[in-house]
Amino acid sequence: MKVESRVPAHTRLRHAVEFHDGPEDQLTRAVAFARATVRRGEQLAVAVPPTVEKAVFDAVGHAGVVALTAPFGASGGSGQTTAATWARELRSLVQSDPGVTVLCGHDPAHDGVDGGYWTELDAALNVSLADLPVDLVCLYPAWPLHLEVLEGARANHPYVLDDGGLRHNPEHRCPLEVLRGRERAAPLVLGPPDLTYRYNSWQLHEVRRMVARLAPALGFDPVRSEDLVLAVNEIATNAVEHGAPQAEIQLWATAGGLVCEVHDTGDLDEPLPGLTAPHPAEPRGRGVWIARQLCDLLHVWQDRRGTHVRLHATP
Amino acid sequence: MSVRAAEDLASGDHACAVPVSDEQLWELTARFLSGGLRRNEKVVYFDDGTSERVLDRLTEDRMPVAATLRSGQLQVVPADVTRGAFRSPVADVRALLHSYVDGSVAQGWSGFRMTGQMSYGADAPAGIPMTAYDAALDDVVRERRLAALCLYDHGHYTQEQIERMRVAHREELTAPAAYDDGLLRITQTGVTAVRLAGEADHSNRPVIHKLITDTLDRALRSADAPTDIELNLASLRFIDVAGAVALVHAAEEFPSSHRLVLGDVRPGVQRVLDRCGAPFATQLLVREARRPPARLPEPADGPHGPRERRLAGAPLEGAGNGSRPEQDAPDDTDETDASDAVDEDPRRERATEGAAG
Repeated sequence: MKVESRVPAHTRLRHAVEFHDGPEDQLTRAVAFARATVRRGEQLAVAVPPTVEKAVFDAVGHAGVVALTAPFGASGGSGQTTAATWARELRSLVQSDPGVTVLCGHDPAHDGVDGGYWTELDAALNVSLADLPVDLVCLYPAWPLHLEVLEGARANHPYVLDDGGLRHNPEHRCPLEVLRGRERAAPLVLGPPDLTYRYNSWQLHEVRRMVARLAPALGFDPVRSEDLVLAVNEIATNAVEHGAPQAEIQLWATAGGLVCEVHDTGDLDEPLPGLTAPHPAEPRGRGVWIARQLCDLLHVWQDRRGTHVRLHATP
Repeated sequence: MSVRAAEDLASGDHACAVPVSDEQLWELTARFLSGGLRRNEKVVYFDDGTSERVLDRLTEDRMPVAATLRSGQLQVVPADVTRGAFRSPVADVRALLHSYVDGSVAQGWSGFRMTGQMSYGADAPAGIPMTAYDAALDDVVRERRLAALCLYDHGHYTQEQIERMRVAHREELTAPAAYDDGLLRITQTGVTAVRLAGEADHSNRPVIHKLITDTLDRALRSADAPTDIELNLASLRFIDVAGAVALVHAAEEFPSSHRLVLGDVRPGVQRVLDRCGAPFATQLLVREARRPPARLPEPADGPHGPRERRLAGAPLEGAGNGSRPEQDAPDDTDETDASDAVDEDPRRERATEGAAG
């Protein structure tokens, strides 16, 4: 890819980890960090556990401070979806501000079964925020319940912030390396799908027809229905374009919108597709990027059987 | 075989056509009906679940659908009436057609033309072969100088039925396409102008790129050809991201003397183009469709609504008593309002549009 960043190197993402000794220490450090940031006159965005968030707002007020969305749906946390959402929110923030300081705090409530959510989140943030003038500091426990959380935090952060200030992290590795060999968690298993359809390239129009028929009944207006059809079409197309000639789509019509999974037997060349807008000259990769913009959740994972995508959209 | 186009059929013509795709079916039907509307003829479509798509296509072709439905020049005969004809004796149908043509002329229309979805008759529901009805129609065409186009599409007729009906017709229309895969249909409408109808996705992706380079080639080779390569997208209901990117890239690679012009772009397609960088391509011009496709007033108008009254007076129902075609509806003002609302209200756009095939 011949992506050229419009952002000078010194104002691109700076991603650091700061370790704390427990919830109280996390809260103390968060408040101190927020105070210092606001005192410097910088725009602050926070994504921290609820009690910490309250303490931060109590300490520095709401002026110049925003809370980032933490999109946790019925299907659990998806680090890549969170990273895509924050990228969208921060991109609109830096339209008006030259840069943003972001404070992220580990919340054990989102650990899931093994804490892998955090590893994926930080790896995905390294991709999705790469081009943004963002200073991101993540508060992680030095003694987490899941060892995975610590290992992920050590591998994903190029910098460590401690009493001595900001220093390079020798253990840092790029997202591709971090995620390679880690079986990323499948989202929570849903019940049997309402519709299952095996298709090939010449049956994509049937896939679109199925979604177009379901969407209005689930409360999607005509414009949103068309967007949803496009999003599903792009994911379904990817499966038969890069995967095997045949793929399978499953659809769940739920009270909270449409859930869709696409399964193929192919491999992924990048573990977290569609997290950055492809360069205009790049013919490929735009479909998943657009699908991520149109959906509330888009989670890609791999296992021995192939590549899987879950997509969730609310009306 | 003829090289005439559907809109060229005139009084005294009775032709058949065998469309290779649904898109061609809508195209042929709309062009045939348009020819009559332009000639100030009474134009009748015998519906059997297909009129919505035909009226859509007429609107996409920029025909005044609401106005001609309102004036009674264009009439959609409901499916039960269409089917009823094929359960009636041939003589009754012949007499009815006679009275219908005569009535239209008496009303001041310059002629009469008809087509429709007649496949119900192919299985001879009353034991009378379809060819018998077609022979009666042919008689009336000779005697009363109407224009009739019989459409036998693969979706509604078996190959055997198609061949049988083909033999019964003196003339068969062909409408050559640059490309038609059943999902996407491309027709050449000028030296540097083409029209896309249907859906563009991964299955026909290479076609669009080739289409544009071929058309550009033609434009570059002939000195007096227009410098705008025009793609009419009025009937393109879906384009995927790669297809939209292909259009944007194609325009960016044009020589600076030429532009790619996308005409009558539907809102859903427009949004995909916008997300794929179309606004930043200097040699790409995107013109939106002037308004969303028209709808017939919903039957939800109620059984006493103006549309129901008009259709209730449709020709074939009173075959036995030789009823005349309906006179100008007395409730013209009502219908005017209803039709206008349909034409101008963007919310009436079909919910599944852009995705449904």
